[in-house]
Amino acid sequence: MTAESPETFQDLISALQRFWSDQGCTVLQSYDMEMGAGTNHPATFLRAIGPEPWRAAYVQASRRPTDGRYGDNPNRLQHYYQFQVLLKPSPLDIQEVYLASLSALGIDPLVHDIRFVEDNWESPTLGARGVGWEVWLNGMEVTQFTYFQQVGGLECRPVSGEIAYGLERIAMYLQGRDSIYDLHWGRSVHGPVTYGDIFHQNEVEQSQFNFELADTDALFPWFDACEAQCRALTAAGLALPAYEQVLKASHTFNLLDARHAISVTERQRYILRIRQLAQATAEAYYAGREALGFPLLDAASAAESVGT
Amino acid sequence: MSPPATLLLEIGTEELPPKSLRRLSDALTAGIRESLESNGLGADAVIGFCSPRRLAVQAQGVPLRQPDREVERKGPSLKAAFDAAGAPTKAALGFARSCGVEVGELGRVESGKGTWLVYRTQQPGGNVQSVVPDLAAQVLAALPLPKRMRWSDLDTEFVRPVHWVVLMLDAEVLDAQLLGVRAGNLTRGHRAHAPEPLSIAHAGQYAQILEQQGHVIADFSRRRARIAGQVEQQAAAAGGRALSNDALLDEVTALVEWPVALVGDFEPQYLRVPPEVLICTMQGNQKYFPLLDGNGKLMPKFIAIANLESRDPQRVRAGNERVIRPRLADAGFFWDQDRKQTLAARESELAGVVFQEQLGNLADKSARVAKLGERLAGTLDCDPALLRRAAHIAKCDLLTEMVGEFPELQGTMGRYYAINDGEPQAVAAALEEQYLPRFAGDAIPASPLGRALGLAERLDTLAGIFAIGQRPSGEKDPFALRRAALAALRITIEGELPLDLLALIEQAVAAQPVDAQPGLADEVFDFMMERLRAYYQGQGVGTLHFEAVLARRPRAPLDFHRRLQAVVAFTELPEAHSLAAANKRIRNILRQAGQVPEAFAAERLCEPAERRLAEQLRRVERTATPLFERQDYRSALNEMASLRDAVDGFFDEVLVMDEDRTLRANRIALLNSLSRLFLQIADVSLLPGET
Repeated sequence: MTAESPETFQDLISALQRFWSDQGCTVLQSYDMEMGAGTNHPATFLRAIGPEPWRAAYVQASRRPTDGRYGDNPNRLQHYYQFQVLLKPSPLDIQEVYLASLSALGIDPLVHDIRFVEDNWESPTLGARGVGWEVWLNGMEVTQFTYFQQVGGLECRPVSGEIAYGLERIAMYLQGRDSIYDLHWGRSVHGPVTYGDIFHQNEVEQSQFNFELADTDALFPWFDACEAQCRALTAAGLALPAYEQVLKASHTFNLLDARHAISVTERQRYILRIRQLAQATAEAYYAGREALGFPLLDAASAAESVGT
Repeated sequence: MSPPATLLLEIGTEELPPKSLRRLSDALTAGIRESLESNGLGADAVIGFCSPRRLAVQAQGVPLRQPDREVERKGPSLKAAFDAAGAPTKAALGFARSCGVEVGELGRVESGKGTWLVYRTQQPGGNVQSVVPDLAAQVLAALPLPKRMRWSDLDTEFVRPVHWVVLMLDAEVLDAQLLGVRAGNLTRGHRAHAPEPLSIAHAGQYAQILEQQGHVIADFSRRRARIAGQVEQQAAAAGGRALSNDALLDEVTALVEWPVALVGDFEPQYLRVPPEVLICTMQGNQKYFPLLDGNGKLMPKFIAIANLESRDPQRVRAGNERVIRPRLADAGFFWDQDRKQTLAARESELAGVVFQEQLGNLADKSARVAKLGERLAGTLDCDPALLRRAAHIAKCDLLTEMVGEFPELQGTMGRYYAINDGEPQAVAAALEEQYLPRFAGDAIPASPLGRALGLAERLDTLAGIFAIGQRPSGEKDPFALRRAALAALRITIEGELPLDLLALIEQAVAAQPVDAQPGLADEVFDFMMERLRAYYQGQGVGTLHFEAVLARRPRAPLDFHRRLQAVVAFTELPEAHSLAAANKRIRNILRQAGQVPEAFAAERLCEPAERRLAEQLRRVERTATPLFERQDYRSALNEMASLRDAVDGFFDEVLVMDEDRTLRANRIALLNSLSRLFLQIADVSLLPGET
């Protein structure tokens, strides 16, 4: 059954959280560091590694400095939100469950043309790749849907299914708005609170910072420092703090890129450096979980034997 | 024997990659057809079906059983099988035991070398039901998958996760497990229109059941034709004509199971943007069909193919219009933004873009192309100043926002921006033409300037990439050098440019910022000759003809082409065969003779037949020489064909290997002159001819 559409951005988030909570997902919160996508959250990147089962859903604030448009473009932001779902192993009915989540948002599959269009995701910095689709809603991409095949250079066994909803796009659709800034985020006693009320100034100022003021002289050595720190931490077997250094290095690179401070050839080298960190971290994480005896594996089999 | 049956195999999947769907389906269909045949189960007709969620094959008229086969097993020879007394040896007894019979029951088989014991038996053929499951599994395993994947915690690998398998013979489900799924008689229809499994009563009803109950047109061609028809109909209703092409139709067909066309509108203000950009946006990103009016101008409309008979089509239409709007707005923004700066003003930025690490940046490359291009200016009859100008700004459009967003519009945007900047018309045209031909069958540049630029650009790339040791190997051709080589050849040949290719390559190699290995220019030249071979193969020219001309290694492709045309025409002549054979014979004689005098002495020719050949040869030399100079090889070969009788007469009546040394040497010299005459054009001894 198709539900009523959520009226506000915050209702949209609640509806998705409720839906995926009902699917047995642990509902987490946005990670408190700068990152380009929900995939970079350790609840996806690290949890997709190794044999342990895992189901999580969360909103992740995503930062892409080069996408900033000083608040002038109604469709592009340097800071926006993804609703991320990771299901490991990917259930066999994952597409049906996803379509049910759209119904829960009031999107009727007999009214709207919903399609899975090939798009194989790849992240050169994370050493990750997968097979999947972008999901079209009447021709508009609203979700990235991926079966992870490799993460941090490690083959995925079992395979995780990742669903990343573009929240702003879906909200624009549901609310019938042509500009992100006109979206109703919530409702106050004085009337609707718009996305623009909350974030427009942020887009203007952050764009200025990203493109004009970010201090490249400070960023280059900072990248090197994150890299060195990450190396030291992986050597010490501390995968989680090491991974935070990967995130920092990655965001630093994105800022340098937005400042056009890295030449085309150099760019490849930086990407490779980050990938090497991500791979070392992935290996350290796997080793750490293995040393712990992959505890979630035991929990899962215990639950199964109780069930039968 | 029972009447033949219909076999059905369907693999139900998640949405398959549209661009390889048809190839995958064809491979599965061919695999099943061939496998049935090679297993003695050849069908009357084998039909493939495919849609985003399925690959299927239906084989009609499949025999129910394989024919029985006679199996023959060879044992020891009679000599080894029986001892002097005629009693069976251990070898014979052992062989009989292994066949499960007595020695007396074994047959005999004779061959040229003797007689052997043999065991013959009828092996009964298996029935379809028992053979097909393994056969299908083998065909599936051998499919050329574009990219394999795994899913969930399973070990199965396929293009996309597999959810159901149908394997039926008429009304019977075959016992099989394929791609990790047990075969049954349940298929699935359209996701939204027919979400419940559909049961197939009979393998022959597959397509009808899907279409009537499942909202799925499983036949690709039928679906494609329906889309083409709907597009045409909607376009006519909107007062226009749809801009369609095979690739787009194929892709759209691979993206839907139940096509429904709809017309959408966009704001007419975007028509100020060059039509190529709008077409790119509509076709490339959204898989829409653009519409043209009666004058061939774009209309502010498009046709989208939905995969749904929506309960509220207006919402689908509005949704699609919403998607295209920001994309067109972006395009309009880039168009306005890019024109604020001239192409020439961007020239300094070219230095910041790496072409290839060892070969420098785009400014370096542009300078090299300009220099090489200038050398071509004379032959191509174009103004060197314009050529320099075009070469220097040729890559500037790569720095624009528009080309950043739509890389396939490189060159086209260069032309638009150049016109906008007030560049000379010829320069603007050349910026677009430098990329022609873009694909097999595409036109070559029309203007001399475009040809010069396109040629210089490709030769520079070929020389540079070869110089850094990255020539293509096997499947790997990351710099698309094969295409570049073919494009350069086509420009010189089809543009009828009498250019010394080897000299141009030498200059291009010398201009590279890296030290080239000695002989590199020849390597590039030979690589291009291999492309030339492929070019002519594609046109159905025989390999021997090509080899005959290649043996002379003409340095100008146009010259090569003219020789080849002449050789092809020559082989149609009645004289060709015998002259080719004579040249082969002469070549052997010359090879064995070793040292051959430069010229023959006419006064020492004594036999009438050799004197006649010498006279005829002199005559033809006289008439053919000016023809060589005009590269009129066809007429020259026509002249040479008239030598046939004299040549045949010579070989019939004259003994070359005379005992008299002087006579012999003189005759060999005569033949050498004849051979050299032909070699002015090609090595005709390589052509077909009986010896």
